[in-house]
Amino acid sequence: MTIQIELTGVNKHYGAFHALKNIDLSIEKGTFVALVGPSGCGKSTLLRSLAGLEKITAGEMKIAGDLMTNVPPRKRDVAMVFQSYALYPHMTVEDNLTYSLRIRGIKKAEARKAAAEVAATTGLSQLLGRYPRELSGGQRQRVAMSRAIIRNPKAFLFDEPLSNLDAALRVHMRKEIRALHDRLGATSVYVTHDQIEAMTMADHVVVMRDGVIEQQGQPLELYDSPANRFVAGFIGSPAMNFIPATVNADGLSLTVNLGTLEQNLQINQPLPPGRHVTAGIRPEHFRLTSADEGTFRVPVAVVESTGSATYVTTLTDPELTLVETGRSMIRAGETIGLSINPDQVHVFDAGTGTRLARE
Amino acid sequence: MTESFHNRLMFVIAILLAIVYLFPLYWMYITALKSGSEMFATPPSFWPSVPEWGVYAEVWQSRNMGRYLWNSMVIATGAVVLISVLGTGCAYVLARYRNVWVDIGLFLVLMLQVLPASLMITPIFVGFSQFGLLETPRLAVILAIAAKSMPFFIVLVRATFMSVPMELEEAALVDGNSRVGAFFHIVLPLARNGILVSAILIFMQAFGEFVYSKSLIQAIELQPASVGLNSFMGPNTNEWNKIMAYATIYVTPILAIFVLLQRRIVSGLTSGALK
Repeated sequence: MTIQIELTGVNKHYGAFHALKNIDLSIEKGTFVALVGPSGCGKSTLLRSLAGLEKITAGEMKIAGDLMTNVPPRKRDVAMVFQSYALYPHMTVEDNLTYSLRIRGIKKAEARKAAAEVAATTGLSQLLGRYPRELSGGQRQRVAMSRAIIRNPKAFLFDEPLSNLDAALRVHMRKEIRALHDRLGATSVYVTHDQIEAMTMADHVVVMRDGVIEQQGQPLELYDSPANRFVAGFIGSPAMNFIPATVNADGLSLTVNLGTLEQNLQINQPLPPGRHVTAGIRPEHFRLTSADEGTFRVPVAVVESTGSATYVTTLTDPELTLVETGRSMIRAGETIGLSINPDQVHVFDAGTGTRLARE
Repeated sequence: MTESFHNRLMFVIAILLAIVYLFPLYWMYITALKSGSEMFATPPSFWPSVPEWGVYAEVWQSRNMGRYLWNSMVIATGAVVLISVLGTGCAYVLARYRNVWVDIGLFLVLMLQVLPASLMITPIFVGFSQFGLLETPRLAVILAIAAKSMPFFIVLVRATFMSVPMELEEAALVDGNSRVGAFFHIVLPLARNGILVSAILIFMQAFGEFVYSKSLIQAIELQPASVGLNSFMGPNTNEWNKIMAYATIYVTPILAIFVLLQRRIVSGLTSGALK
């Protein structure tokens, strides 16, 4: 596999604000990479730097082997889909699609032919004569995508393209974008704040916070072994439970502190006794049992049912969120038992939040 | 007080205010058509008994109005072209870049608008005469008007540019255009309405400009209609019907343009504000 996009030591300053800190990232040709993180984490800045819309302060940026650090956007041969779609309001759909071709001096007839071909694959054939204001949100989104496709660029850059669509359409477009990526064999970089989008669409997920890459890897890798407490809390929904704990004298179990009650929790790898840690357990990894079974006993505060799953919130400090698939007999006010597989307990340093133990 | 009564009261007040505002215009139109004795009759008549339509042709001929209006036209067109070309670029920069220097620039631009023409005319006159600009007095007036009206144009057009999303320009850049190309292909067409409206307003202002023209243009054959109207009036004037006919010929085309375009002008003026 060849490397299509390569960033080494990329930094970006806005005055005193350090937006990107030493970003190293290589993206193989044909992969779908998601940049994910809370707002202000630098993911959009990184994408805009790739497009050339922001000038990086230090570091190197290569696209398809060519150094791009000081190349203006028009010479980078990348296509970008904006959050607002940024369709040219004074041009018809066809003119929007062919704009980039016409700038490059391609003959009108040829550009129109290319537009017709792309429109046929994205279902816009009937709409070529319309203006953007006459289209629905989903159709505009398709035009924005088609405008990127028509150029056959070296990389596709997506800046939260689905955030203006309603929930149902978003799920649908997610699949459509991914299918398109596979069909074109393209290299895509996709910015989103929605970890589900990142997990479901991408081959490779990059989690960012405060201008730093916290962790990158395949989606399930991030889910199974998050490198720190931030990634652990960011990936997965509902979010992971974090409980303050201390390593017991045997080194193989923790005393977890749930406010009024303290419980013992087995872990699968020895840790130095007495160390203060944070135990992380995903809501879906608790097994709910009756009160006399299980390793934990906790009182129930709230039970919410969606039909397909039941969400249980406990009356502890910190409160825990538990998920059980299907329906549940549990009622608020009851005490229930929980059992946990030691392999599914994540342990983080109480101070730095980095992952301890377990490969 | 009920809602509908309140609305009706407001409507009546609005009508009364409109009457007060428009009365001079009405008086201009009817006085032009009155005969000599009717003009000075007490109580005044509010409708001419025998309208004298011939007054227009007579005034046009005797005062050589064609020449005056041509000069007004030259000055207004020159000022609009100069302001549009220089002001559009300036407004774009002020709309797109945000830093201390831009803020200072904007403040200075707004300050220029506060200074009245009658205050500025003396330094302008002295400066222009030293540069020899008074040899070409119409050009001098064009420059003076451009300097005076530019801030107004910049402020309006800047608002228009700010309503064009930055992302459209960025999309054009990524699509393969240069910064200049993106400006001409994307931003300018989208800001066209606002620029046109501002240019029309400037044109109407410049068409009626008086202080600079009166002071800088000595030669009668180069004076615009506003100065011509002024020279028509003297301390012993009694030809009010002719003066009003002159004013009618001068002002009606501008009024007609405004009435025809008023919907666009109003929407152009508010387009930057709403969004």
